[in-house]
Amino acid sequence: MTTLQLKNIVKRYKSQTVLDDLSLDVAGGERLVLFGPSGSGKTVLLRLIAGVIEPDAGRVLIGGEDMTDVDAEHRGIGMAFQNFALFPHMSAFDNIASALTSRKSSKDTIAAGVHKVSKLLKIDHVLSHHPKALSNGQKQRTALARALVGSPPLLLLDDPLRNVDAKLRFEMRLELPRLLAAQGATVIYVTQDYKEAMALGDRIAVMAHGRIRQIGTPAEIYNAPADIEIARLFGDPTINLLEVVPQRGPDGAFVELSDMRLRLPGFGAEIVGKQCVLGLRPETIAFAEAASQGAIPVTVEAETPLNEKTVTLGLTARGREILVSRPAGTPGPVAGPAHIAVDGRTAFLFDKATGRRILPSELASKRNGEAA
Amino acid sequence: METTSPVERLLRGVALTLVVVFFMFPIVWIFLMSFQTNETILRIPPSVVFSPTLENYAALITGKLQTASGTLDIAFMRNLGNSVLLSVASVAVALLLGVPAAYAFARHKFKGSEDIAFTLLSFRFAPPLLVLLPLTQYFQWLGLSNTYFGLIWIYQLICLPLILWIVRGYFEDISADVEYAYRIAGHSWFSTFRKIALPLAGPGIAAAGLLAFIFAWNNFVFALVLASADKQPVTVGALAFVTASGIQYGQIAAAIVLSITPTLALALYAQRYLVEGLSLGAVKG
Amino acid sequence: MNATALSIENVDKFYGPVDHGVHAVKQLNMDVMKGEIIALLGSSGCGKTSTLRMIAGFEPVSRGTISVAGRQVQTLAPVRRNVAMAFEGYSLYPPLTVRENIAFALKAAKLSQNVVEEKVASIAKLLEIEDILGRYPSSISGGQQQRASLGRALIREADLHLLDEPMGQLEPQLRAVLRGRIKHYIKERGLTAILVTHDQTEANALADRIAVMEGGVLQQFDTPQMIKERPANLFTGTFVGEPPMNVFEASVSGTEGRVAFGLEDGIRLEYPAADFSHAVRDALMKRKNVVLGIRPYSVRRSADGVTGRVAVNQWLGDQTHIAADFAGGTMVLVEHDRTNLEIGQPIGIRLDPGSLHVFDSESGMAISHGEELA
Repeated sequence: MTTLQLKNIVKRYKSQTVLDDLSLDVAGGERLVLFGPSGSGKTVLLRLIAGVIEPDAGRVLIGGEDMTDVDAEHRGIGMAFQNFALFPHMSAFDNIASALTSRKSSKDTIAAGVHKVSKLLKIDHVLSHHPKALSNGQKQRTALARALVGSPPLLLLDDPLRNVDAKLRFEMRLELPRLLAAQGATVIYVTQDYKEAMALGDRIAVMAHGRIRQIGTPAEIYNAPADIEIARLFGDPTINLLEVVPQRGPDGAFVELSDMRLRLPGFGAEIVGKQCVLGLRPETIAFAEAASQGAIPVTVEAETPLNEKTVTLGLTARGREILVSRPAGTPGPVAGPAHIAVDGRTAFLFDKATGRRILPSELASKRNGEAA
Repeated sequence: METTSPVERLLRGVALTLVVVFFMFPIVWIFLMSFQTNETILRIPPSVVFSPTLENYAALITGKLQTASGTLDIAFMRNLGNSVLLSVASVAVALLLGVPAAYAFARHKFKGSEDIAFTLLSFRFAPPLLVLLPLTQYFQWLGLSNTYFGLIWIYQLICLPLILWIVRGYFEDISADVEYAYRIAGHSWFSTFRKIALPLAGPGIAAAGLLAFIFAWNNFVFALVLASADKQPVTVGALAFVTASGIQYGQIAAAIVLSITPTLALALYAQRYLVEGLSLGAVKG
Repeated sequence: MNATALSIENVDKFYGPVDHGVHAVKQLNMDVMKGEIIALLGSSGCGKTSTLRMIAGFEPVSRGTISVAGRQVQTLAPVRRNVAMAFEGYSLYPPLTVRENIAFALKAAKLSQNVVEEKVASIAKLLEIEDILGRYPSSISGGQQQRASLGRALIREADLHLLDEPMGQLEPQLRAVLRGRIKHYIKERGLTAILVTHDQTEANALADRIAVMEGGVLQQFDTPQMIKERPANLFTGTFVGEPPMNVFEASVSGTEGRVAFGLEDGIRLEYPAADFSHAVRDALMKRKNVVLGIRPYSVRRSADGVTGRVAVNQWLGDQTHIAADFAGGTMVLVEHDRTNLEIGQPIGIRLDPGSLHVFDSESGMAISHGEELA
């Protein structure tokens, strides 16, 4: 099991800093997803690990060995590219075999290796085709086969499902974990799709502006986002973000929604009067009876069915938009006035000025204690 | 693609025919001239009806130019041979030097690389007359004047910048990812250059080579000044047809036909290859 | 509201000579009522964009008629059809600012300056482009250009609003918000909109009715709910729905009071005959081989179900996708909670007869949905 360590990597293009003192530790056999919006530096980072781009500063260690100055062909890496990067003048067979021909293996060994991996990826019937004659899905599988065929201990997958249609993407999302587990390789997987990130990653590193903003398991990222931006990037529909100023109530802090009080359990005086942003995941909001405790009145503007769930757009009394999602087929209002129930314990609170999440006081003090 | 009516198709056909006639007429006319004697050519009014003769070609091949005032020796076949030798060798040298250089300029940006590339291109801008005088002097000192080696060297002024700039563009069009993929698969940069970059830029290299060949073939000034009779290409040799006793139109026409044949043949042959190569599809495919 | 806004009758589109060129749209018939939002949904090359371009007038109609608000328009120039269009790509006038681009669409209406400003401001707020109104198209991002183009189309009064992949370039978070707002805007003004998209989420979210196209043929034209619950054929069934419908080939057999489906690996699904209507039973008995389909969120786990083995368990925040090895294939289940299942763990899978879609194995046409005949 090969480990990967990046130490204080810096990469600049002209005056622009693309990677800014970035460090990362990946355990052997781990599947790490690099997630972030375009331009966050994920692709550059992947190429840097592969050795086709050199860092301006910092070290790349693969399996504990310093590979910073080692050429790409000697790093023992497999890589699949977003645009497939197939060799257009070679057949699918030769494309896949290219990762074996450099090793001076015998023709039979190469053929056996290619056939094994192409059978696994269900492309053994198109091996004689040139890339031009392959469908998008077949191209994608050929590119994947080329990355896998040499059983490299470190696999770099650069958004490999980006350019295939939704159905194929879903099928590959189910298939990939099995395929990768069978390889036993350490995997760095780049994607812009949060579902892919959550489905495939043992851990997710969220990147922005050349830095890693948060790294953790899918549950940690989803349930404890470090800042507004990360909360916004995970979840469909997007998390509701409402500007609020918490006030002091008889039983702790609260915020006002449609002039009703929403209690924020666990938060104390430190947030009172502070400019904050309240984050409410659409699936944590439920429709409620008007009479029920703490029900917040809204006006339903539109209802949009999204496959397995139904999303409702509501307006608060002050005209703020709130998205509510519920499993499809469950009852809910279609238009006009309605009430929603929000559990303050599932709400996130962010500092409006910095965008960082404010932890509930008891959690915060626990963290501080640990730090000390 | 549009749906077309018969009228549209007819008009399109007529327009195409007009264009073809416009461009092909001089070539056809010269071709016809090459089978006529000076007398029939200079008839007034001109006529397309004549009895064809091969004497122009015979004169060129035997090297005996028939004029009104007797027979003159000309070295046309030798000129033709010189043209072939000079052009082929120049393009070969230019490809050998230019293609790796183009790859380097396309893939490895370093400080000043753009300036060097531009300086090389600027050799194309300079009027040849400007450099001819000093060149003649240098060549005489170096003992290079009137040698094939010297001519091929000076022809690089024509061929090298052309190949460098055209081929560089083709290399730049190849997605870097495709080359990265081959490197990561375990191949050295040189084998990546040979197995990926060269084949993918193949059509571009062929196009550049063809263009360079035509430019080299058509060159007149360098050869006029730097080569004496036995090293001269056809462009210079053709001057011999302007004799004291008149201009030998029929033989000039035959000479033109013979001298455009190699370029034409090469272009037709390369065209097939170019189309095939270009239709390999974009790298992303 | 009951007037027909758009009527497409027997329309064919050939690229190249009629009857010999590429047949991009085949015998298309479609009626759109005033005030409806319609989505043309399909993968690239299915004919949806050709259809939209024929309605707009950018592509000649090879055969058939297109009527907008009751008048035939297939021979009219685009400007004379009274349709507004938002383009997928870059279609803004470069020398005009975003504000001028949007306001340009109102020129013909001869409104007062104040009214124009007010309208532009409100649509800009809706599309979140207020801060770039003074900028020129060349200095804004692709997503912003797309929103400006959308604004220019939506602000116009027209018999028909055509939207070609209107949100393709926007980031997913913004897309989700805009969907709701745009739907509200269109509905509030009673506009009729035709939307072309390859994104079924968008089609489902925006459209009153979806026209599913494939290979130039209209496969089904119905409400999102009907398409989901009663797909006309195997194509629509597996194309629409995320995650895609689970499908298994099966042989039908019927005994006293039972209907049985034989799947691979010797798996038999038996149901009391009463679970299906007479007509369905008759239709099933006429066939030997069928294709069974069931939506991932209709598959239930239950101890007395057929055993499958968990192959993948992916938690996505608000739902869990489970894939189980089942009958020689993969059965996908969607659950709304976080489920902790181990890989390789056996689970009982129950397929309620009410959620089963049965398709003819040769023609792919739907035979039954639940207990009802298709």
